[in-house]
This record gives sequence, structure tokens and C-alpha cells, in this order.
Amino acid sequence: MINGNLKATYGADERVLNNRNKQMFVFGSIILLALFPLFADDYSVLMACKMGILLIAVVGVNVLTGYTGLVSLGHGAFVAIGAYSTVIFSNLFSGLPTGILPFIVVPMAIAVSALTGIIVGLPSLRVKGLYLAVATLAASFIVKFLIEQDLFAPWTGGIVGIDTPVPSLLGWELDNKREMYVLITALALGTMLAAQNLFRTRVGRAFIAIRDRDYSAEILGISLLRYKLMSFAISAGYCGLSGALGAYFFARILPEQFGLDLSLELVAALIVGGMGRTLGPLFGVVVVMLVPELIKISMAAATGGSLELARYTGPVQEIVFGLLLVFFLLKEPLGINQITDRILRSANRWPFARG
Amino acid sequence: MGQFIQFAINGLMSGAIYALIAVGIVSVYKATKVVNFAHGYLIMFGAYFYFTFAVIIPGQDWAPAWLASWKPDWMVEMREGLSMFSLLGAVLDWAANVPRIICGLIGAVVCNAILGRVVERTLMRPLMGQSVFAMIMVTVGLISILSGSASLIWTADAAFVPHIAPNTPIRFELFGSMIFLFGADIVNMIIALIIFGSIVAMVKFTKGGVAIRATAEDQSTAYSMGISVPKIFSRAWVLASATGAVAGAILATRNGISPSLGLFGFSVLAIVLMGGLDSYVGCFIAAMAVGVLEAMTQWKMGGEWAEIVPYVAVLVVIIFRPHGLMGQKEVERI
Repeated sequence: MINGNLKATYGADERVLNNRNKQMFVFGSIILLALFPLFADDYSVLMACKMGILLIAVVGVNVLTGYTGLVSLGHGAFVAIGAYSTVIFSNLFSGLPTGILPFIVVPMAIAVSALTGIIVGLPSLRVKGLYLAVATLAASFIVKFLIEQDLFAPWTGGIVGIDTPVPSLLGWELDNKREMYVLITALALGTMLAAQNLFRTRVGRAFIAIRDRDYSAEILGISLLRYKLMSFAISAGYCGLSGALGAYFFARILPEQFGLDLSLELVAALIVGGMGRTLGPLFGVVVVMLVPELIKISMAAATGGSLELARYTGPVQEIVFGLLLVFFLLKEPLGINQITDRILRSANRWPFARG
Repeated sequence: MGQFIQFAINGLMSGAIYALIAVGIVSVYKATKVVNFAHGYLIMFGAYFYFTFAVIIPGQDWAPAWLASWKPDWMVEMREGLSMFSLLGAVLDWAANVPRIICGLIGAVVCNAILGRVVERTLMRPLMGQSVFAMIMVTVGLISILSGSASLIWTADAAFVPHIAPNTPIRFELFGSMIFLFGADIVNMIIALIIFGSIVAMVKFTKGGVAIRATAEDQSTAYSMGISVPKIFSRAWVLASATGAVAGAILATRNGISPSLGLFGFSVLAIVLMGGLDSYVGCFIAAMAVGVLEAMTQWKMGGEWAEIVPYVAVLVVIIFRPHGLMGQKEVERI
């Protein structure tokens, strides 16, 4: 394939950012992200933080659905478990110095989430495709139901939700949104890099083999039991991290935040962005979060801020969200990443044919 | 024992309605290999259409008076002198509503059938021959579209919806214990069972039904035998949404109308998987079993826990029987 990139060494060929355009895109984005909180207003920073939190979860779904080919409609439950474990463990270990608390609590939340992932993933050994989608959906309904129960209310706060602690990293109190932005952005970039590198390893290759044809993978000596459960654990772990950050970010968490809507949003963001691609979740999250926001702003401008018409905003946002998902499935099943790929490729080959 | 029988009967009655909803999902799956995640939301539309045609339209100024409340002279005469809770009184109260119930049912079935056809033509038809994953995800997107549209169109607070049958309380003795039932629930159950039975019979015995089964077996072979597969697809969707409209009307009279009716579809999805996606009989058994289990949970553990019964049941069944109770095992070739 003529791709316009001269690679003189194996090292150059194996790099993550293996051409100038990719480097410019990624480093440019990082610089923009670093400068962003200096000139953005509070609301934009808030939106960026929410996107970052969602992004980490979508990267997790990407590991499972995009790379391993196991469809899950219940990942909202893992985010919920991450968030609630963070709060519960913070309350349990409140005797420890607050500076080191997050370093203990967050890994534990991720571990609990990953463990739940393994349990939910157990049916994946016997069922797949659609049955698995429904099994995960059922599991997520059960998790949400248990969180809402009065029986566990002393720990989870029940249906009215629970207040979350303010994180403090070695004495650095992250009590405003700009400080949280730094943490969330750094972690989001870290998780994306980790996911990218995961698929350059033996484990990641095994996931891809399972996605392409699971029986063939098994014949090649890949243990389906081990790798499917591992994929579930990694994916749930990412969602747990996302939930932990969410718990630190929001002043209060409620069971409704982690319902079916969240699970669908995660899958929709992945499909819109592009499944099985590193940057897919990023594009997807940006679109899925920004489009409803644009609708809100344009509806407010069009109606002149009248309260009478403001109640139509929610339904319109919902419809557009569904239309986005349907549109991408019908017209661009590989997602936005495919579009950007085309642009990058033509930039690479310029001034020759785009191909 | 008396309470046990009472709850078991209640469970069987809600199980029949589950079966009626499940028949829509199974029909679409059999014909098109697509599992419709949005079926619950089609049902919600059916409920809202019933509400529109049975409550909103008769309430308009331009609608004829007999549509809202049908009271011929002979009925008024019979009504006089009856006590408050007599059986005849309940039947007469219902008779006054008959025109708008019929109007509501016909309107709901027709509108929902059109909706099903539109969905099939605009969303599913372009994806024919593509991966099943894409088709299923389109139905997931449909969830948002339908629930958003419903709250955009029907902003009015849901009011009383007329019962399909006279809602008179019935008491009788069974095995030495008193059983207490409502007339409307029994009629609902009978309607659900009749529709379920006739659809199963149709698929089994009529020419169109054979075409559906042939398409389910192998699409390209069915195509080459002269069966119009696209026509089968749209027929299955129309059938599913029309039965969904009846189910929606029944649910509306039982549980009231709200956008959360759509969530009902997910528990029925669980039931369908439990019974086996392509087996009407399996789904019927699963629906009845879940109905009874739910009623028992309600009795022993309280109403809240009943809502997760289908999900727990499906997880248990799927682990032991991956293709449901009576589902056909898929043969995979590498």
C-alpha cells in the first residue's frame, strides 16, 4: 500500500504515532487541552470534565465491544459500582489520612468493578451476541435495583443518593472544577494510551482474534474462558475508574444517573465514534455530549428563553440522540474515525490521488 | 393455600399479557432475525394511541356525543333503580363506553400498524443483508427516538382510560378458599390468549405463515423459491406492532399511561430469551412462569422485588440452557 510514509527502521514502523500528521494532531490536541482551562468559562470546563469521565467509560466499552466483539448493554452498572465503591470505601476508611485515601480507594473501586465484570461475564462463555447483550442488560437492571434498596441504604444512600467526598491527592485538595479538569484529562489520556498499547500486546491480539472468529481463535490455542473474562474485567475496570472520577466530580451521586440511559449513551458514543479504534471513543463522546448541548443552546435562542417551550428541549435531545445512532449505523457504520482516517490519508498522500 | 391460589391466578393473568407482548418480539425475530429492543416502546405508542382515540378524540367538541358516552333511552331506563355495585350496573357502565373503546382499539391497531411499517421501511429495510449487530443497534436507537417523540406529542397528563371489559369484581370459591378477581382482568387474559393462539395457528397453518417459517429457516433459499422476503419482513413488523397496540391498550387500563411503559419491553425481552427466541411455546411457558414467579415474589417479598424477577430468571436459565428453554440451537460453521 502506498501510504506516503517512508519508514527506515523497525522502530519507526512500530511507533504509535507513525507519521507526521498523526503527531501534529495528537500533540496539537494535547496543547489545546492544556491551554483550555486558562481561557474557557466555568461551564465549558464542566462539560469538558463530564466528557472526560464518559470517555474513560467508553474506552472500557471499546475494549469489550469494539475489540473483543462481545456486545454489552449494561456497562452503566460498572460505572455505578465504581462510583458507589469509591464512596463506600472512603466512608469505611475515613480514619486514614485524607491525602493518601484516593490512592487506596480508587484502585479498590476498580478492583471491585473488575470483579463484578468477571461475574457478569460468566454467561459470555456459553452465550454470545444477542443473548449476551440481554444478559448484561439484565445484570445492570439488577445492580441498579440493589443500589436503590432500603436494605443497603446505610451504605449506598438508597434512592435519594449519597454525598461524595472531596478528593485530596497528597494534600492537594481538588475542590474546584478546574483542578478536577487537570486530573480527569490526564487520566483520560492515560487510559486511551493504555488501551492503544494493550492491542499491541499478546492479550490484545487474542481479543482481536476472538472478535474476528471465536472458534478459530480457540483452535489457535487462545483460551476463550480466560480471555473473554479478562476482557470483561479490563473493560469493567475502566468503567470503574470512570465511576470513581464521577463520584469525586459530582457532589452527590444518585442511582438514576447510572440507569439504562447511561448504558445506551456509552454504546452510542462508541458506535458514532467508531468501534475497535483508539480514537473512536474520543470522537464519539465529543459528538454525543456536544450535540444535545448545541440543541439546548439553539432551542433557547430560537424560543427566546420562554419556559413554555423549554420543556420540549429534553424530548428533542432524546430524538436527536437516537437519530444520530441510527444515522451512523445506516450511513457510516465505521464511525467518525473512518471519516478522519480518510482526511488524514489524503493529507498524507497530498498532492497525489486520495484513494 | 387460599392466598397461594389467588396469587397464582393473578400471576397467570399477567403472564398472559407477557405472552401477548412476547409474540411480537418472537414474530419479528422469526422473520427477520432481528431482536427488537424497542418493542416496549412500540407498545407504549399503542397505549398512547388508545388513549388518543378513546379519551382525547371523544372529548373534543366536534366529536358526536354518542362517541363519548353512549346512553340510549332503554339503557337509562334499565339503569334506574339499580343499586351501586350490582353486576348489571357495572355492565351498563361499560356499555356506555363501548363506542369509544371500539374507536380506541381500532385507532390504536391501525396507527401502530402504520408506525411499524414506517419503522420497517425507513430503518430496517436499508440494513437488509447487513450484520445483525447493526440491525439490533438500530432498534436500540429507535428506543430514544420513540420515547422522545412520545413525550413530545402527548404532553397532556394521562387521564383515566376506559377498561376494555366491564370491571366488575368477581368472587368465587375454589378448593375451599375465596378467590377475588376483576372482570376486566379475566377478559384481558382471554383476549391475550386468543391473539396469541391465532398468531401461532397462523404461522403454523396458513400460506403466509409457511412463508414466514421458510424465511426464518433460510432467507436466500426462501427468496429463490419465490417468496418475497421484504414483504415478509414488513408483514412481521406490522403484525408485531398491531398486537403490540392491543397489549398497550390492556397495559394502559391496568397500569395507567406513562413513558415508563416502554421499560416493560425489557422484562418481556428477558422472558423471550428465557423461553427461546424462536419458540412460541417456550415463550408462552416462560411468560406464564415469570408471571407466577412475580406474583409469588410480590406476595412474599413485597412489590419492589417483583420488578427484577424476569432478569434474575433469564440469567439463571441462560447459564444452564444458553438458547432458552425451547430455543433451537444455532449451528455454527467456521
